[in-house]
Amino acid sequence: MRALAILLLTAAPAFAEGDLFIYTWGEYTPPDLVAKFEAEFGVKVHIDSYDSMETMIAKLRAGGAGYDIIVPGDATMQVLIAEDMVEKIDVYAMPNYANVDDKWREVYWDPKREYSAPWAWGSTAFAVDTAVVTGDYSSLSVLFDPDDDVKGRINMLRDMNDVINMAERYLGVPRCSENPDEMKRVLELLETQKEWVKSYDSETKELLVSGEAVVSMSWNGYAMRARDEKPSVVYVYPKEGYTGWMDNVAVPKGAPNMDNAKAWVNFVMAPENAAMITNYARYSNGIEGSEAFIEPALSAAPEINPPADAPAPEFIPTCSAEATALIDKVWTKLMN
Amino acid sequence: MSLLDTRSKDIRNLPGFGLTAGFTVAFLYAPIVFLVLYSFNDGRSISRLDGVSLRWYGQVFANEEIGGAALNSVLLAVIAATLATVMATAAALAMVRMRVRRKAAAYAVLNFPLMVPEIVTAIASLIFFSSVGLGLGFGSLVVAHTTFCIPFAYLPITARLTSMDPALETAAADLYARPWRRFALITLPLLAPGLMSGWLLAFIVSLDDFIISSMLSGPGSTTLPVHIYSMLRLGITPEVNAVSSLMVLASALVVITSGLIARKQS
Repeated sequence: MRALAILLLTAAPAFAEGDLFIYTWGEYTPPDLVAKFEAEFGVKVHIDSYDSMETMIAKLRAGGAGYDIIVPGDATMQVLIAEDMVEKIDVYAMPNYANVDDKWREVYWDPKREYSAPWAWGSTAFAVDTAVVTGDYSSLSVLFDPDDDVKGRINMLRDMNDVINMAERYLGVPRCSENPDEMKRVLELLETQKEWVKSYDSETKELLVSGEAVVSMSWNGYAMRARDEKPSVVYVYPKEGYTGWMDNVAVPKGAPNMDNAKAWVNFVMAPENAAMITNYARYSNGIEGSEAFIEPALSAAPEINPPADAPAPEFIPTCSAEATALIDKVWTKLMN
Repeated sequence: MSLLDTRSKDIRNLPGFGLTAGFTVAFLYAPIVFLVLYSFNDGRSISRLDGVSLRWYGQVFANEEIGGAALNSVLLAVIAATLATVMATAAALAMVRMRVRRKAAAYAVLNFPLMVPEIVTAIASLIFFSSVGLGLGFGSLVVAHTTFCIPFAYLPITARLTSMDPALETAAADLYARPWRRFALITLPLLAPGLMSGWLLAFIVSLDDFIISSMLSGPGSTTLPVHIYSMLRLGITPEVNAVSSLMVLASALVVITSGLIARKQS
């Protein structure tokens, strides 16, 4: 009866041998990469998009989602492993794993790379318009102790964790602090800064290009797009540090096309294929040797190739419940 | 005197009507005008015009992910609207033409999907489909969309049915037309405008739905609104404007058609 119902109600493509169902962000998977994989393995690739990590997790939790590949961020990846929602596919033993940059091998969310391969990574720091900001801008003090001509022309991301992490770095407070006194200092700093902040807005590219903001917190990809339109915009890797994120390729539990899924994971770790990801999504990949295949404009872009003297990005696991409660409190007070 | 009376009662003659209406229309439509305007931008920006071009529309039509999602959306809307219209018609006939016990309760149940917050319906359906072992996919979307489309189809159909003269059906019965014949030859043709606008309304509601689709789509069944939302992660380019403008156009066409039918009907 149940089988009949499924047969009647599922007009979706059948799970034939030659399929691969990828569940990822929209416009994140290069069409030429898909075409190459389809030609090489004789597999039809289907791509579905999610609007948030939460939606993706909700569907996996509900079970029987039927996807073969997911592309979770670092903190989500850790949760998925802890909750036994991804297959242990021993990525470290795959032939193309040799190409993975050392930096991306022992990562907090998958310390032995048993479950996931790197897809793309980026960072959250800030950008300045050097046509206006002429002094030294290597420190977060540009945002938190601004010169007079910058006051009122600062934009902060409308992102609770990114803003608070940045303030914590400036004060030397550890991330995910559970100490109320420390978090009070964070709030005081942000409230003082609020006087000089023009907006808390995630459309940083637009604000920088239009000149409404001359200093703006920014994701590296947005800063690069802003520079495309306004060459005086510089993405800064502050000496106090900055946040990194990495999206990873993993296989959810019970994937219907396990062999194809593993083939895809191995496939995206090949340098020429990883380069396609960077060329299309305009974010760095984690694969050594991919530089040779990346468009010159991108391989020279400082936004996705941190200079040698830049600090390493800091990856931040999900905070404890206590720390999260404090972060929520600070953000709510700041936004009121 | 009586002429003056109707004039003063006409809302258009109230002081400040034009101003209020102007502001309201601008408030509602200015964002959409900007959205459409920047979809013709030659540059990558959504706030600075660098010349006019159709390149983003070209990109939308060449994009397989968007094309697939659009096809899913239209197919889903056609199926869900059709199923919902059939069910809503049956419900409307029963409610208007027959004696139904606990009519108020039945009416409330029919319109329940309008009252329940959509996110609740979405989560509840997600849990329901997975607990009965019916996987997520196009099938689950059809079921869920049909459910929340029923009240939208029901309202115009009932409105039409209530304004129809039952004497015509009675006359047909008097001339020995059997119920089915009566329905096919008299009721259905008279009901057609109501059916059409009900169907179109259901179609548009299904086409635009995001929350339920986002929760219930499965492999190979991502819909266009879900895909558009997902595109935002990598930054808004005029491509998002272009695909959104096309959706606005599709919605507008459907709403206008529905309006024209309703006008003809009255």
